[in-house]
Amino acid sequence: MLRFGLFLLWAFLGFCMLVLVTLPISLETQFITGMVVLIAMMILKLLGSEGNLRLIALAFGTAVVLRYAYWRTTSTLPPFNQLENFIPGFLLYLAEMYSVMMLALSLFVVSRPLPPRPSRRNANKRFPTVDVFIPTYNEDADLLANTMAAAKQMEYPADKLTVWLLDDGGTVQKRNSEKIIDANAAEQRFRDLQKLAADLDVRYLTRERNEHAKAGNMNNALDQSEGELIVIFDADHAPARDFLLETVSYFDDDPKLFLVQTPHFFLNPDPVERNLRTFEKMPSENEMFYGIIQRGLDKWDASFFCGSAAVLRRTALAETNGFSGVSITEDCETAVELHSRGWSSLYIDRPLIAGLQPATFASFIGQRSRWAQGMMQILRFRFPPLKRGLSLPQRLCYMSSTLFWLFPFPRAIFLVAPLCYLFFDLQIFTASGGEFMAYTLSYMLVNLMMQNYLYGAFRWPWISELYEYVQTVHLLPAVISVILNPRKPTFKVTAKDESIARSRLSEIAAPFFVIFFVLIIAVFVTIYRVYTEPFKADVTLVVGGWNLLNLIMAGCALGVVSERGEKAATRRVAVSRRCDFKLGDTWLQGTIENVSVNGARVNLIGAIPEGITIDDRAELRFKTHSDGNQGVLPVEIRNVERGGQNVVIGCRYHPEGAAHHKLVADLIFANSAQWTQFQLSRRGNPGLLRGTFWFLRLALYQTYRGLVYLGRAARDRGSDKSASMAESHL
Amino acid sequence: MKRLAFPLSLTLATLAATTGLAQQSPFDMTPEKPAQESVPAPASPPQTAPSVDDPAQQTTPPQTGAAGAARPAVNAARRYLLSQPDIVLSGENALRSWAMYLTPEQAASPAKLNFGYQNAIVIAPEASRLKLSINGVIIVDTPVESTESVSRAVFDIPAGLLRPGYNDVRIEASQRHRTDCTIQSTYELWSEINPEATYIDFSEPEAGRWQRVDDLRAIGTTPTSETRFNFVVPGADQAISTTPVMRLASGLGLMAEMPNQSFSISRKEAPPAGPGLATVVIGTAGELEPLLGELPPGAEISPTSLVVDDSRFGPSTLVVTGPNWPAVENAVEALITPLKRPTSQRATMSTHTWRMPDPPMVFQYSRLKFSDLGVNTQEFSGRRFRTNFAVSVPSDFFANAYGQATVLLDAAYTPDVMPGSHIDIYVNGNIAATVPITTGGGEFLSHLPIPVTMRHFQPGYNIIELEAVLLTENDNVCAPGATGSTERRFVLFDTSELVMPNFARIAQRPNLSALSGTGSPYGLDEAHIPVIVDRTQPEALSSAATLLARLSIAAGRPISMDASVAPSAIGAQNAISVSTISQVPAGMLRQVGMPESMKTSWTENTGAEAAGANTETTLDEWQTRLRGSSWRGQISSFEEWLQRTFNVSLDTFRIFQGAEPEFVPNPGENFLLAQQQNPTGTGVWTVITAPTARMLEEGMRAMASQPNWREVAGRVTTYNNMSTVIRVTQPQDVALFETQPFSMRNYRRIMANWLSANAVAYSMALVVMSVLLGTATLILLNTLGRKD
Repeated sequence: MLRFGLFLLWAFLGFCMLVLVTLPISLETQFITGMVVLIAMMILKLLGSEGNLRLIALAFGTAVVLRYAYWRTTSTLPPFNQLENFIPGFLLYLAEMYSVMMLALSLFVVSRPLPPRPSRRNANKRFPTVDVFIPTYNEDADLLANTMAAAKQMEYPADKLTVWLLDDGGTVQKRNSEKIIDANAAEQRFRDLQKLAADLDVRYLTRERNEHAKAGNMNNALDQSEGELIVIFDADHAPARDFLLETVSYFDDDPKLFLVQTPHFFLNPDPVERNLRTFEKMPSENEMFYGIIQRGLDKWDASFFCGSAAVLRRTALAETNGFSGVSITEDCETAVELHSRGWSSLYIDRPLIAGLQPATFASFIGQRSRWAQGMMQILRFRFPPLKRGLSLPQRLCYMSSTLFWLFPFPRAIFLVAPLCYLFFDLQIFTASGGEFMAYTLSYMLVNLMMQNYLYGAFRWPWISELYEYVQTVHLLPAVISVILNPRKPTFKVTAKDESIARSRLSEIAAPFFVIFFVLIIAVFVTIYRVYTEPFKADVTLVVGGWNLLNLIMAGCALGVVSERGEKAATRRVAVSRRCDFKLGDTWLQGTIENVSVNGARVNLIGAIPEGITIDDRAELRFKTHSDGNQGVLPVEIRNVERGGQNVVIGCRYHPEGAAHHKLVADLIFANSAQWTQFQLSRRGNPGLLRGTFWFLRLALYQTYRGLVYLGRAARDRGSDKSASMAESHL
Repeated sequence: MKRLAFPLSLTLATLAATTGLAQQSPFDMTPEKPAQESVPAPASPPQTAPSVDDPAQQTTPPQTGAAGAARPAVNAARRYLLSQPDIVLSGENALRSWAMYLTPEQAASPAKLNFGYQNAIVIAPEASRLKLSINGVIIVDTPVESTESVSRAVFDIPAGLLRPGYNDVRIEASQRHRTDCTIQSTYELWSEINPEATYIDFSEPEAGRWQRVDDLRAIGTTPTSETRFNFVVPGADQAISTTPVMRLASGLGLMAEMPNQSFSISRKEAPPAGPGLATVVIGTAGELEPLLGELPPGAEISPTSLVVDDSRFGPSTLVVTGPNWPAVENAVEALITPLKRPTSQRATMSTHTWRMPDPPMVFQYSRLKFSDLGVNTQEFSGRRFRTNFAVSVPSDFFANAYGQATVLLDAAYTPDVMPGSHIDIYVNGNIAATVPITTGGGEFLSHLPIPVTMRHFQPGYNIIELEAVLLTENDNVCAPGATGSTERRFVLFDTSELVMPNFARIAQRPNLSALSGTGSPYGLDEAHIPVIVDRTQPEALSSAATLLARLSIAAGRPISMDASVAPSAIGAQNAISVSTISQVPAGMLRQVGMPESMKTSWTENTGAEAAGANTETTLDEWQTRLRGSSWRGQISSFEEWLQRTFNVSLDTFRIFQGAEPEFVPNPGENFLLAQQQNPTGTGVWTVITAPTARMLEEGMRAMASQPNWREVAGRVTTYNNMSTVIRVTQPQDVALFETQPFSMRNYRRIMANWLSANAVAYSMALVVMSVLLGTATLILLNTLGRKD
């Protein structure tokens, strides 16, 4: 009752606000109001961007955005009888309204994200049986060994935990392939993995045919297993030891819970981060999703399954006959289906697995294409906004999650719109310079400030725009194709273990350069027109400024598609662990300073024997977290730095069996707290102004780098010399 | 006679010789001069016209009334064509049109048109033409070539062309510069139609005589384009006489509807009648008996109103009489009744005697076709095309701050027209929209929407002017003869439309522009407005009559008034006071925002000095007019840009209105209209006053003339009779008064307008709403979804 009363009050206030913002007030009043609201938001920001003031600041922003939308709708559309202006003008309008709608949806989703839940580590009363599924298709044995070893080492009663390797690369269908080479490879894989699994005490499972891709693979395993809970780890997602302790107990709290999802934490940078060198300082792209959006969805009981690092209830999956496989994003689709049947989900904001993400720009785009196409399929076949059984907030949340992937359309339109005016003199946005100042500028500033309010610590200014732009170029065709042929796309496994030996342009870089040069031409056209057509210089300058913004983005993207050659492909995690290091025949005492999936860095005390050289074999001995026993891991020395009292050695693991993989897993995946620490170290809101300056500098530098790479690529092709770019310091 | 219809140039020399500078001694009609017993025939120039072969021009004695033999009736047989002074046709194309009322006798009479004009020396005669047409038939079509002095010519008006009642008169000019192709040069082009030399002479003597009361509509104008009703009211100082006299003035004023008309009330005398002058005698039979040559039959028995040829007052004298004043009043009401307008809203305002067509009255969303607004499809070969039309809004129009009308323009321009040209729209002389032409190669504009700010709209009719400034390469080169090129560059189609939106409607108090625009709030049906007038002074009575006639025209119906109410009995009503400053009823002056001390301190001499004080006002006016106008250079400073674009000034940030400061006239200002809510807030009081009776009458007459009357606005409007500068003082504190049945939409628009005028209030409202909504959202969110 109280809630209903509150809702009525809120609705009334909302109505008053709507009345107020849709008053057809004068330009002068709009101008002053825009300034007043901006100043008010700045003051609120100074008082702190968290807590209760946040919603008030967002209400301010909403008012300005609504005013813009009202004005844009009522006063700026080109006349209908000028079709050459009206059609592109209306498209631009739709793109802007899409942005406004998405802003509204995100406001709803992240209006009040749930704070992280307290640890459940020591609160387990019952230990239900758990089946861990590690689906694989083509990942290599080493990677799988780490994951399986880490899964096996999770703290949980051993008799309640079964780990399954679900190999789709060794199916009967694959092994009997008509292509003999493929068939042999599959046969080999089948045998190797069977042995590896057996060594690690993991159950190997494969099936007859590769039907329904990942979903089919897991459904097959569901039939074979009988644990009460199902845990899914992607082949490269190795769990921390406390994964189950932190997640399982929730299922006893709520019998209708079907999912506990945890974030995906990545040890390596995505190609954008790698090429821009922001991995160490700036929050990763996915942190916005896992750090705040999933928490916001959780508030509305709408956090959804992300394919891995999650625990599901068997009885819930049984209701839908396992994982849904209509779309190529079976995870989200399954969640929609179960949410609509009254099951609920939950999200834990604590990295409990560590994984890899695609290393090259091309595979990054491949992965995003799958997500985008899958979400479009869900939109097409399940249509969450009208799906029966979903609550209103859940519908809105799923709308936000699926419609987000339409972003390539507005991005493309924003890119092309200024060119319509600059090149073809189309008047697609009828507003004077003054109106543009009073409405559009204040709207843009408020929009940036709202983004900063919503995601400040998780997403720096302009980074969303950059990510969207770099994806748009290739995602647009993908999204269009899935809209035209919703059943066509098939599941493609994203390659995550590629590495880039030498600096080069991405194989899909060409369109970015074309766009960049077109925008450059547009800048010259702007200058030319300002001088030759002074009577409309104001409009030309405004449109030219817009184009310049696009150019900055396009320039920064040149850096994104210029792949840096890098040796260490994965992130090193700082640890501090006592160890012994055997060089030659002597054991030296030391500390492991940091580790990665490939190697470790060890600080040794005392004199090391002479004659140690790169590639020498050595042994690393340390006490494991899992059982407290000592283990010895063979390593290969990669470099040696001598200090006064000590020497620092960088080494690469040389695991030769299951036992060694367990040691590697113990080194890296034992402690999830260190991942949280690392994430926190990158979080920090630089603020709108500083963030913008930083981005501008970044963009300038990346433009330069992109052009240098282009020059080298042209030269290489021209002379056909393989001038190595590996040494490039760029 | 026919000869004279031949090319005007042939006759010019003769004309100039005979009539050359006659217009330098116009009529001296100032009525304040003591009336003389033997008024000489007015110094009219009937003989100055080329009358050698025109017998009708001969002085003909009137055929009735031997006593009036000395008073020629011929003057009445002349009709000056221009209804207002200063008909100056400027620019490259110009058009004036209005309607002229003729009696049946005039329409039937053979008539000749005399036409006199003078033009700027820079006009190229071979490329410029002046045309005058009546009822669609071109009477005058001449090259524009009268640069030295006023040239005159006489033209036959074809028989049967004139009709009884209203006849359309239309003067059109197409003018080109001799040598200059610039836009600036077009401002140097003008032709002035000479009011004194432009008239119709009717040869039929009966045409000079009015037979019916309705014939008073044909009163016309004096050679100086004035219209004057001279009332003779022997009982003017009796309280009982004032209401009928004022009602009669309202009625006659509304009948004639001339743009520049005034009333003069005297107890005994009237100047002789003539073109633009009418004599009206009103009183009981007993009062009139000694004055009139002969009392109309039946005057002692029943209410009587009659047009008579009186031996003392001359032919065509209107006599309104009866056995007693109530009977006289009945006679007046009988005259007025046909003029009464039903309570329903009028569809047009009546402006036809000086401007055709009558502008439509817009109350709500409407689409007005240019063709219906009197704008025809026009092709144009010059560089600065202009046309205008008028549209009226009601007195409770309240959309100055936010409103936007739209012109849907159908036009085209040829490839010659270069980018940089522009189309501007002015509202009441203020720039309201500019559309730059940005594409070369010609274009067909089809219903191109042009937003037009309603900032400068005011109650009553509004003149909207459309100007196209066309730049071409040919004009840049400006080869000899280029100015006269007839190659069409621009065409405006009459299918263009003006779209008036639904606008906020609520009355503002005070608001003198509602008074001038539609007579509001005094024009209501049967309101019996108390009019307080000092009847001991004929000048005050004259002023009140002039005012009421003016208000009646604005309101479209005779003002329903009651002059017998004592000042102390006004109470909570709307009221008007017309008197010298010392006679303004006690308390009223303070109510309209002026100190009572003004009664003694505001004298004739206060204003004697310093006409120069107005330079500043003039400068301001010009700056306002020029700001943002196209031909002024780009203003670079940001501040000015801000001011220009957003109209942001310190005033914008005012939240709380201060108390209205007391108004004191500037030196030199010797007439004023002031308005304010009455003390109970239930009506509006308007005070019209001046330091002396003479200034009151003079000031009222000046302000009641068409162009000046439109400038009456704000809470006080003052007039300086030396410099003729009108100054408007806007109110700081405006009370709003509901005029429409309650509707959410209207209130939304009212809010929009008020908040647009009070930007800070809007910002604050938005801030407060945001805080409330944010807090409510916060509380609501805490109860919804999963809890923290």
